[in-house]
Amino acid sequence: MRWSGEGSVGFASRENRSLPSDGETDGRRLMAAPSLAVDLAPGNPRELVLANPVIAASGCFGYGLEYAEVMDVQRLGAFVSKGITPKPRSGNPMPRITETPAGMLNAIGLQNPGIRGFVKKYPKLWEAWKVPAIVNISAESVEEYAMMARILDEQPGVAGIEVNISCPNIAAGGYCFGWDAVMSADVTRAVRAATTLPLIVKLSPGAVDIVSVALAVEEAGADAVSLINTLVGMAIDVRTRRPVLANATGGLSGPAVKPIALRMVYQVAVAVRIPVVGMGGIMGLNDALEFFFAGANAIQVGTAIFAQPGMLIRLIDDLEDWLRREGVGSVREIVGVALPAGLPTRQAATEADVEIDFAAAVAAG
Amino acid sequence: MVELDPILDMDFVGAGGVVVRAREFDSRILAVEPVMGDSAVLTLSLPPGMAGSLRAGQFVDVLCRVEGSYDPLLRRPYSIFRADPRTETMQLLVRPYGRGSAWLASRPAGTILDVLGPLGNTFQVNPRSRNLLMVAGGVGAAPLVMLTDHALADGRNVTYLMGAADADALLPASYLPSDVEYAVATDNGSKGHWGFVTDLVPEYLRWADQVFACGPEAMFRSLRAVASAHRLGGKPRIQVSVERTMACGLGACLGCVVETKHGMQTSCVQGPIYDMDEVVW
Ligand SMILES: Cc1cc2nc3c(=O)[nH]c(=O)nc-3n(C[C@H](O)[C@H](O)[C@H](O)COP(=O)(O)OP(=O)(O)OC[C@H]3O[C@@H](n4cnc5c(N)ncnc54)[C@H](O)[C@@H]3O)c2cc1C
Ligand SMILES: Cc1cc2nc3c(=O)[nH]c(=O)nc-3n(C[C@H](O)[C@H](O)[C@H](O)COP(=O)(O)O)c2cc1C
Ligand code: FES
Repeated sequence: MRWSGEGSVGFASRENRSLPSDGETDGRRLMAAPSLAVDLAPGNPRELVLANPVIAASGCFGYGLEYAEVMDVQRLGAFVSKGITPKPRSGNPMPRITETPAGMLNAIGLQNPGIRGFVKKYPKLWEAWKVPAIVNISAESVEEYAMMARILDEQPGVAGIEVNISCPNIAAGGYCFGWDAVMSADVTRAVRAATTLPLIVKLSPGAVDIVSVALAVEEAGADAVSLINTLVGMAIDVRTRRPVLANATGGLSGPAVKPIALRMVYQVAVAVRIPVVGMGGIMGLNDALEFFFAGANAIQVGTAIFAQPGMLIRLIDDLEDWLRREGVGSVREIVGVALPAGLPTRQAATEADVEIDFAAAVAAG
Repeated sequence: MVELDPILDMDFVGAGGVVVRAREFDSRILAVEPVMGDSAVLTLSLPPGMAGSLRAGQFVDVLCRVEGSYDPLLRRPYSIFRADPRTETMQLLVRPYGRGSAWLASRPAGTILDVLGPLGNTFQVNPRSRNLLMVAGGVGAAPLVMLTDHALADGRNVTYLMGAADADALLPASYLPSDVEYAVATDNGSKGHWGFVTDLVPEYLRWADQVFACGPEAMFRSLRAVASAHRLGGKPRIQVSVERTMACGLGACLGCVVETKHGMQTSCVQGPIYDMDEVVW
């Protein structure tokens, strides 16, 4: 784990709680601005250090430009692009979204310009941006995931890759990659071999055992995991007696999914040693704190942005105020505090450990 | 596969050349007038300078819940019914339909709303057009009232056709400037023509240089039938304001798309106004 330099930090840990935060002495620490910085790829030389742990989630923030007029996008910890696929996709028929109690269902169908159309436009634009841009990729075969990762590896404006494994594996008869630990590891290994970029694997809540998937992708070389993606749901229009969405089913997101998301983050955070990015129904500070306490090193916000774009920046400010009020020097100190004592914590990794893991994973790929 | 261009030009230059930028702002309900049976016209305060930059066809996204509640979760889009730069206000016409609109239409004056806007593109009036025909169904009347205001100010002639279930649900003539020709149709014949508003359209097609329409899906269906039976050489052109369920209102979620002859477009940014013949219905 590297501790050199401003803003370059490791994961949270009970052990490092006594470390002075970023160049300040313990005595002054409570008075000074709390540190919000997090490192989502501490084992990776290309590192993914965020100024704060608030990230806009994939599919909910377009390509960053869409929100530029209503908020200061550069203040975010990072943002994740809409899911990119090997070929352009025009998406699903309408209706694609519908509201549900304290949530929404979406079946956008990954409308996007395809990896080649994508790289022509966005990385160039993002290169001048301060905020790290993470690219979310989706595919239907291991080879296609690797192909996209190879293309992204050379793009200057791309800070990292988030691999969406909630996609059907054509070679497995359409069974979702993310539901199966072996298939999830296969994708991760192939992407790891194709790029040295920081690599976040986004877990599917539909997995039979999400902890074993998390452990498998960690083993296969993921720098971090993020969770959860949407839960498959449905709504029926009682007047027409037909599903509301043209696709019949859709992904459920928003406050309705939060308890499930939180439980999964908690379970995964106990098991893995790499950073965990938590999401699912975060609407404000209290929700975010719950995720940090459950073991998330950073959080993503999706659906809430649609309702209140301004909440992203408010959340960063609220978090900083809260830390100051509570006399906490760094957000890293609150990560995983809800995990029962005695459970194995992932944060004990040393710099050497992590670097060996990384090297081993690259070699394995 | 449809060619896609997801880069969206967010600096929309309105008809007056003013760059209109969306923002999230607090807006106070200054007045509530019951209208069209159970609907309401809300008069809302605007940030200084915004009213004059608003263009007909644009809409705003209103958060229809109280602080602390997550239901209904998403904003609801409402067309701008009228804007008044003098008083720095705008009006919305809201029909109580489901949870969001029922909440909004029943808010008392003084309520502070969280509003995102202005959003969307605008009706495009050809500078050479003298005669404009409006075709409104129900609360689809809203954006066409603003367009009528602006057209009259520019010295054009306007005929406003409106259809509703019954006499009670029609927009009262007092809401339209007096030099507008106003003709109505009702489903039960309680006022004006007994039938669809689109039945009235053919007799105006030769007069009109452009047609502007907003209403329910069924109205667009019969408008297309009327247009294909009565228009010559695709003239006059017909612009429609379409309605899709929206989440973000900013082109980010891709939930509100309209398939056009130029590919999939986000109706919240590249719409909601389309040339009727460009939409793949
Ligand atoms: C660009 C745009 C402009 C709009 N302008 C106006 C306006 O000026 N005035 C106005 O009153 N409304 C307008 N609407 C519609 C408005 O945004 C809401 O959809 C409407 O108020 C219903 O919301 P709700 O929360 O009351 O209903 P919900 O609780 O969302 O809906 C209840 C049920 O009815 C269905 N439903 C919702 N709306 C309709 C509909 N119109 N026809 C058939 N089924 C429907 C929903 O799918 C749901 O199943 C506009 C919509 C768009 C996209
Ligand atoms: C409209 C919409 C589109 C989404 N598109 C993607 C996507 O392309 N790739 C992906 O990995 N997740 C996608 N997601 C899932 C979100 O990134 C996030 O995991 C999920 O919505 C839970 O977070 P939330 O409750 O804060 O929205 C999408 C979600 C929504 C609502
Ligand atoms: S409502 Fe999100 S793209 Fe239009």
